[in-house]
Amino acid sequence: MKTDNVSEDRALEERTKLLFDGSVSSLDPQTRSKLTQARYRALEELEGSAPAGWRPRWIPAGVLAAGVLVLVMLWQGQPAVSPGTPAFDVAALSDLEIILGDGDLGLLQELEFYAWLDEQAEIVTPESAEGGVG
Amino acid sequence: MTLAVFVQATCLPKEERTLESGIEMDAFLREVEKRAYRITLASIRDADEALDIVQDAMISLVRKYSGRPAEEWRPLFYRILKNRIRDWQRHGVVKGRVLSFFGGQEGETYDPVAQAPGPSTSNPDEVVARGEAMAALEKELAKVPRRQREAFMLRNFEGLSVSETAIAMSCSEGSVKTHYFRAVRRLRESLREHF
Repeated sequence: MKTDNVSEDRALEERTKLLFDGSVSSLDPQTRSKLTQARYRALEELEGSAPAGWRPRWIPAGVLAAGVLVLVMLWQGQPAVSPGTPAFDVAALSDLEIILGDGDLGLLQELEFYAWLDEQAEIVTPESAEGGVG
Repeated sequence: MTLAVFVQATCLPKEERTLESGIEMDAFLREVEKRAYRITLASIRDADEALDIVQDAMISLVRKYSGRPAEEWRPLFYRILKNRIRDWQRHGVVKGRVLSFFGGQEGETYDPVAQAPGPSTSNPDEVVARGEAMAALEKELAKVPRRQREAFMLRNFEGLSVSETAIAMSCSEGSVKTHYFRAVRRLRESLREHF
């Protein structure tokens, strides 16, 4: 008798769960769309609380990788740090903010050119310049 | 070493954390939104209001609890949703009394058969049978005492564990088991002819 009750309870639980799952999976497209909009609206709250410059969902992986690359390049371009000076140059950080903050990807694409230009400036030292003239 | 210190000193780790949290929250809401909507619809029987309530619960979760561990989100979300549904029902009772006092009507009545979505089968008989069974289930659920109904929906429909349901319902695990057991027994009797 008790076993019958338990098995009947189980049957009801399974049946109602199936019915509910069916009603969820067959929601009409309009309702699905409204739910998606509701989700985006809710996620805007998260973006609103994020620090300035945070980019939601898309871009991040690429821009983040590019940002790290720029960081490394700027870092390598700095003069040797002497004891007592700050661990990093504030100007380098400002450059990074300008590049990432505006979302100007064109500037990122020209980085290779600027790196090459920087190399040329190092190669053309006063000695080599004099030798070139003579 | 210095580069690592530099990276940590800048905003990157914080941005990554926010980004990670955003992606996780998006995935979580995407997972629960449809079920939450159906549970709300079964509780209040008004499609537009159900959408508003679900959106409100989502916003509240993001505002208040996005910084909490992701595994806590589900019971917290359903606790918010449950409270929103209850607020709406209380408001509806008051509104009904006022309208009744002034001789007004509460608008269109909910038709569970019309609202019941069609299951993914092409067999018309089965579609009708499932639609009717779901409508009967919603109708009987509406008659079940509120705490029992909440326990049944959270445990059976949403698949929350006893401890998660206890958090969502703000009660003990023992109470959850009792409410759920009574709901199952009651529904089993009332739905006997449909199932």
